Amino acid sequence: MRRLKKVWRRTFLFTGITVFIAVAVTLLIRFAPKPPEQKVALARIALSEATANKADTYSRNLFHEARALYDSAMVNWQLENERFLYFRDYGKVETFADLCTRKAKQAAKVSKNNVTDLNIFIRQKIGKLNTIVNQINERFSSYPLPPEIWKNISKGKMLLKEAEVAYNKNDYPLSKAKIADSEILLTESYEYATNHLKEYFNSYPLWKKWADRTISESRQNNSYSIIIDKFARKCLIYFAGVKKYEYHVELGRNWVGDKKEKGDKKTPEGMYRITRKFGSNKTKYHKALLIDYPNANDIQEFRNEIAKGTLPRNAKIGSLIEIHGDGGRGIDWTEGCIALTNSEMDVVFKIAGEGTPVTIIGSMVNLDQLTD
Amino acid sequence: MKNKVLMGLAAVAMVAVLSSCGKKPQAEIDAANAAIEAAKTAEAPVYVAAEFAAVQDSLNAVMADITAQESKLFKKFGPAKAKLASIVTLANTVAANAATKKEEVKAETTTLLTDIKTVIEENGKLIPKLPRGKEGAAVIEQIKADVATVDAAVVEAQGLFDKGSYMDALNKIKAAKEKADGLNAEVKEVLTKARIKF
Repeated sequence: MRRLKKVWRRTFLFTGITVFIAVAVTLLIRFAPKPPEQKVALARIALSEATANKADTYSRNLFHEARALYDSAMVNWQLENERFLYFRDYGKVETFADLCTRKAKQAAKVSKNNVTDLNIFIRQKIGKLNTIVNQINERFSSYPLPPEIWKNISKGKMLLKEAEVAYNKNDYPLSKAKIADSEILLTESYEYATNHLKEYFNSYPLWKKWADRTISESRQNNSYSIIIDKFARKCLIYFAGVKKYEYHVELGRNWVGDKKEKGDKKTPEGMYRITRKFGSNKTKYHKALLIDYPNANDIQEFRNEIAKGTLPRNAKIGSLIEIHGDGGRGIDWTEGCIALTNSEMDVVFKIAGEGTPVTIIGSMVNLDQLTD
Repeated sequence: MKNKVLMGLAAVAMVAVLSSCGKKPQAEIDAANAAIEAAKTAEAPVYVAAEFAAVQDSLNAVMADITAQESKLFKKFGPAKAKLASIVTLANTVAANAATKKEEVKAETTTLLTDIKTVIEENGKLIPKLPRGKEGAAVIEQIKADVATVDAAVVEAQGLFDKGSYMDALNKIKAAKEKADGLNAEVKEVLTKARIKF
């Protein structure tokens, strides 16, 4: 009986202890601080969305801040896990997670805006640079710029192509970098060429005077006069002050500017007259009309240049400038002469005689009209 | 005495239940990290960026799950282990996809490099046929500058290709090919105008 009582007492004690422990554990779990699982999950989702919006590229600082905050939240969570259940404090974890969510959302938003802005910026820049390329092609494809400038233009065009390829692949940072390099090369080259052209066109008032006098002479004498517009590559033939024919011409390979000396490959500028006609058996360029270059003005100019030292003392003045055939090659190839196609040369040869005025000018129109 | 032993065993069992109900799946975590590293080595962030970001996201989620389980009195790592195993599989797939994409890019770049070399070779044969003695002409100067630019771009692209940067090489060579084709057409136009056979 005593033994049975003892067993019961022990069983009761054991059950009591077990119940106590169970209650204690339950209370511990019930009242222990809860980890901010939901907040950390929200922070992670916000980071994912920021990554999807390429915030790591387009909002780098904010994204990295958000990433660091998430890592801090996780590290603090792990540190708290090492403490006794009841003494844990997830306050910092929550704060870091909340901050991360905010930063990541901000990063995603900024990234989206930056992508949109960059897209517009790059598109506009590509458009602007392509306009410059087109202007270079239109105005300067036949303009004798220095090889270094052509090299820069070529590099600039290539970089622009690379920028377009990167843009089409949505790689905006690469595209932007290529555009920056291309822009320097193209704008500087274009500026150089434009300034060169502007300088050349400073002589426009003189050209206009010559052209007006030539047309006026044709009108007064009821005769033919020839005007060569170097920039437009045009041979304009007037009769009685009215333009009768217009042909394309090819010039000396360094055609910009007045001829200064023998061998400079420039086509002279001035008012001249035909002095001799060469039929097909007397020239290797189908037919030819020799002009009176150098005239008195050219000789005086040449002497002045020698005196100023802008030409070497042993320089020689050029000669034998002709309007001749064998043209139509698509490039400026002569030593300073004016080349027409053979059929057009036949017409000019027929109407022109010794004494016919040939006025060679830079342009019939001023630069503003030209650039419009 | 017998009861004391019984009580002791019960206490040990309880401690065991409370403290080591589940162990952090360190081996599985290491395997997942290794698989992601392998995907990185296979240049997944370059060739299959979105897929790679998704795997990394999954790993982050599982790591948060594991930390959450570590906060609990009764830990349960079973689901996390299963997720880690699937991440390993996914990372391996991403690495394989990256390798496939890389091969595709490599093949495309190889084709373009071969094509552009053919065009350059043709240009090399055509350019000497341009009107003789006209080296100073603006058109010829432009053509010469373009030839030098294309040549430099091809050398650069080949260098990137040899280094295994196929994507960068592809971007460069695409632009160079366009330029070389344009140049080819331009040279042919000049030759045609100059009535030179090619």
